[in-house]
Amino acid sequence: MHAAKISKLTLSVFVLPCLILYVVLVFVPISVAGYYSLFQWNGIGEQLFVGFSNYSKMLTNDPVFWPSVGRTIMFAFFSMAEIPIALLIAVLLTRYVRKPNFLVSSYFLPVILSVVVIGQLWKSIYNPASLGGLLNNALDFVGLESWTRTWLADPKVSIFALFFVSLWQYLGYHILIQFTGIQNISQEVYEAAKIDGADGWKADRYITFPLVVPVFKISMVLAVIGSLKVFDMVMVMTAGGPAHATEVISTLMYNKTFAALEYGYGSAISIFLVIECLLATVLLNKLFKSSEDSME
Amino acid sequence: MKQAKRKSVLLFMFCLILVLTACSGNNGTTEQPDTTKKEVEPSKKQITLTFQNHYPDATDVQHKVMQQITDDYMAANPHIKVEVDSLNIDQQKIKLKTQAASNDMPDITVVNAAAQMAPFVEGGKLASLNDILERDGLGESFHSGILDYYTFDDNVYALPDGNNIAVIYYNKELFEQAGVAIPATYDDLIKAAETFNSKKIIPMVVGEKETWTGSYFFMNILLRLAGPGYLNDVQNKTKDFMDPAFIESVAKFRQFIEAKGFQEGATSYDYDSAESLFTSGQAAMYFMGTWATGAMDEADVKGKVGVFPFPTVDGKGDPNEYMLGPGTGFALAANSEHLEEAKDFLHYFMTNYPKVSFDFKNAVGVAQVVQGDFVQAGYSQLAIDVLDIFKQVKGGDIAFDNTMDPSTTQTHLNSIQNLFVSSIPPEDTAREHQNAFAANNQ
Repeated sequence: MHAAKISKLTLSVFVLPCLILYVVLVFVPISVAGYYSLFQWNGIGEQLFVGFSNYSKMLTNDPVFWPSVGRTIMFAFFSMAEIPIALLIAVLLTRYVRKPNFLVSSYFLPVILSVVVIGQLWKSIYNPASLGGLLNNALDFVGLESWTRTWLADPKVSIFALFFVSLWQYLGYHILIQFTGIQNISQEVYEAAKIDGADGWKADRYITFPLVVPVFKISMVLAVIGSLKVFDMVMVMTAGGPAHATEVISTLMYNKTFAALEYGYGSAISIFLVIECLLATVLLNKLFKSSEDSME
Repeated sequence: MKQAKRKSVLLFMFCLILVLTACSGNNGTTEQPDTTKKEVEPSKKQITLTFQNHYPDATDVQHKVMQQITDDYMAANPHIKVEVDSLNIDQQKIKLKTQAASNDMPDITVVNAAAQMAPFVEGGKLASLNDILERDGLGESFHSGILDYYTFDDNVYALPDGNNIAVIYYNKELFEQAGVAIPATYDDLIKAAETFNSKKIIPMVVGEKETWTGSYFFMNILLRLAGPGYLNDVQNKTKDFMDPAFIESVAKFRQFIEAKGFQEGATSYDYDSAESLFTSGQAAMYFMGTWATGAMDEADVKGKVGVFPFPTVDGKGDPNEYMLGPGTGFALAANSEHLEEAKDFLHYFMTNYPKVSFDFKNAVGVAQVVQGDFVQAGYSQLAIDVLDIFKQVKGGDIAFDNTMDPSTTQTHLNSIQNLFVSSIPPEDTAREHQNAFAANNQ
């Protein structure tokens, strides 16, 4: 192997730039946030050391915090549920569509649009019918007047209206990932299976699904992490309102830090967010590890 | 293997580029002062001042006024270069907070009045402006009382460009069409809302995604029922939020919402989209600060808009008392390297502000006395009407966020937004306020 001949020095020289970047851009800010989370500080004036009281306030005495965490986790589940659908569409595309690349690219299109553009677009779709809201007008048209509502202003449904937009936007992203994963499976495997009598769904069941698992895993991790730190979509469409009904962890952190000027408390929330993301990644890896092991 | 090698080479080059660009960026900023030093005249040093403001829209008249005065100043003082950093208001607020935290504030910046600028003053971030107010009578050019909102311990820390009041703009055509008279009482206002709704006209617009807009309307009810200075009394703990006047104000506000006084889905509208509902002629009324006057004169509704003061509530309150809007003020960083020059610039800026604003037809709601004949200068009828209202102002009160600490303010803004979507007893809303206030003002 060539690898053995490379000296440790060369290795470290090559790793160093990325390591420095990683430390400066990721590790240092997290530590700084951890430090500030121990203070009561408005970001400008004097810092008052309060130990872990920000954390105890966050975990026990903030009526908005746990519902926000709940919404974030619920969103992560929805995003995870989306991946099998994306896989299914990718399989169908590979099997039945002659030139699937065009379709895959069109599904991918929303991903490259700015979230602000998407947010504004969907805001006008969700508008009341009297103001030209597409969705409500469509419901009116097919005779479902009772279903119409002010989607973003009704605290019961607004969070789901937001989730839907995000899921819609990222469906194409996951289809692309799964699709590429399927393309990378060697045709020879399928041909061999065909000779053995495994065709159609059977081939998918015993070849496509097991071989696409690593890619599936990446999709899962991306979806979960992405939804845990969802921010821009919520900010553009509702800013956490009405009355905290669409508040998620990251918007709560932002509102506390910059609007209420509770810098220390906001830092505590951000540390919670970091830990939550790490936990989710570890958990998912464990889960897939065991399922991969069982397949071997 | 070959492919892997190529990949690693690419990766290495990518890292290299990142590192190199990072370094060159640093060099650029450190070398800049050297190059400017070479051009220094023997007598005067070349100086650069940074002027942060929130007039980013170059087509906006506010921006034009700001740019004109800045350019004039640079022409008169060739050794001083004023770099303008225009951001929208939310971005500017956050940028300034970050800069203040890292002691890196721009020489000239803008801050909000009263309670909102208090953290900056208490943190020693702003320079006192008493000396430039005394120079050439600049202090006397301001309307009486307006500087109080920027004064802490007898030191003025910011100079406002605007001085506004909240009024109700109304669409004369829609009022005529629905046969509605100008409401003189709050009950009239609710009845008007019902009439407009029966004619499928939006009675009033509010951009409640930006929570201060609803709060501003609510505060005007509170001003009628509790009188001016109520929040100050709360702050001094001679009154609290469980006061009957406060609870009644919440109930009254809720009454207007229940009468569908505001447009459907109000909490998802931001300031601009709400305003455009009115300026495009789809809504009958719009409660806003007089700074919105300029926008009316440039929109579809031009010439159809009138103004009236907020009505009395249950026969209480004086319609000549208004929600006052001491706007943002220009402030100077205390640790600026060129504090003297910055003071000189700000003095020049504020001295010329009324005249240049007048020339740009933007002199409605200026914090300083404006010389000139508005009618002759071709100001719109609406602008003249607003100026007439200004003459009748007998005091009033300022917005919630200008009085209370930021944390209590956030609780207030959210519980007002909550009134739009759920029917909780007014006492609960009041208690929510009181708890937040108690927690933040021990």
